[in-house]
Amino acid sequence: MPQFDPASFVSQLFWFGVFFALLYFAVVRPTLPKVGKVIDARETQVSGDLDRAEAAKGQADAIRTAYDDGMRQARDAAQAAVAAARDAAATAADARLKQLAIRLDADADAAAASLELARASARAGLEDIVTELTTQAVAKLAGIEVSAADVSAALAQR
Amino acid sequence: MEQFKIETIAPLSVAGFDLSFTNSSLWMLISLLGVAGFLFVGTARPQLVPGRWQAAVEYLYDFIRDMLRENVGKDGLRYAPLIFAVFIFVLACNLLGMVPFVHSFTPTSHIAVTFGLAMIVFILVVIVGFARHGLHFFSLFLPEGTPLFVAPLVALIEFLSFLSRPFTLAIRLFANMTAGHVLMKVFGGFVVSLGAVNIGLGIIPLGVNVALTALELLIAVVQAYVFALLASIYLNDAVNLH
Repeated sequence: MPQFDPASFVSQLFWFGVFFALLYFAVVRPTLPKVGKVIDARETQVSGDLDRAEAAKGQADAIRTAYDDGMRQARDAAQAAVAAARDAAATAADARLKQLAIRLDADADAAAASLELARASARAGLEDIVTELTTQAVAKLAGIEVSAADVSAALAQR
Repeated sequence: MEQFKIETIAPLSVAGFDLSFTNSSLWMLISLLGVAGFLFVGTARPQLVPGRWQAAVEYLYDFIRDMLRENVGKDGLRYAPLIFAVFIFVLACNLLGMVPFVHSFTPTSHIAVTFGLAMIVFILVVIVGFARHGLHFFSLFLPEGTPLFVAPLVALIEFLSFLSRPFTLAIRLFANMTAGHVLMKVFGGFVVSLGAVNIGLGIIPLGVNVALTALELLIAVVQAYVFALLASIYLNDAVNLH
């Protein structure tokens, strides 16, 4: 086997040394670290991006909570406003109703008073008519002349 | 064994040593140029979102870095370029040796080359070990909790196994590549000899050879992986002392 022929060993080792040294110092050393740097840069970039995404998510969550809180507060405020408006409207209506009732009472009182007045005057008129009727009836039936004053006194006695 | 024959292309002799440029040197050069092209194109303009070539380079580099991270830990990443160079060199030599019709030669089927590769790993381990731990590195040869009366024996065995690492590393790669190529050659020979008897009979070893080619491609990749994996496991001893 030519592999065990020592005659070629020196030449093989020499050229191997030359080419491997070239490979290591002239090819691998100038090129590979560049790739290594890029790989590291990519790793830092990716982890940085992940961190930023995490922070952004936190921010979004905070905004979301703030929004929810704002919405809840606004809803509460709106409900309170509605309740206040409803109360105000109710009190206003009550007041108006009360006023109206007072006016109606007053009207009713006035109407009752005028009715009473009318009834009184009617009764007064009735007395006159009754007195006259009585005077005439007495004069026609009994032939006695009775004065109006006597008739009124007699009516008043009853 | 003609496929493993070293053929001189340009004779060169320095101080009595034969340093001729041979077909082995040529195919190492081709591997070097192939890897150089791949790496230079892939890292010409490194971008955060990689293109196809850059993605391919990154994939291989990440593969080596993950291997080191797993077997050595974070401290091992410093040696990623060297382990990567060993890996890609073995891979390129193994794969280019499978190219048909161009008188391709597999440098990694020669023990001299695989021994050179193994020595790079061995020397790296020794240097890193002494640089990081000083003389404490010798405690590698005495696992913790060893009973005192067997300590000399254990230390001797550990020391020998440590010294044998470059040889096992070299022989594993060389033997795998050689055996695979011999097997393909043998079945190639069967195609001719059986085909001469009956053209139909030649089909059988041809089919076997197709399957063997696929197997050899797998072995070419797996052996490069195994070489780099063992290198990182040995490196772990030097960095972390067991």
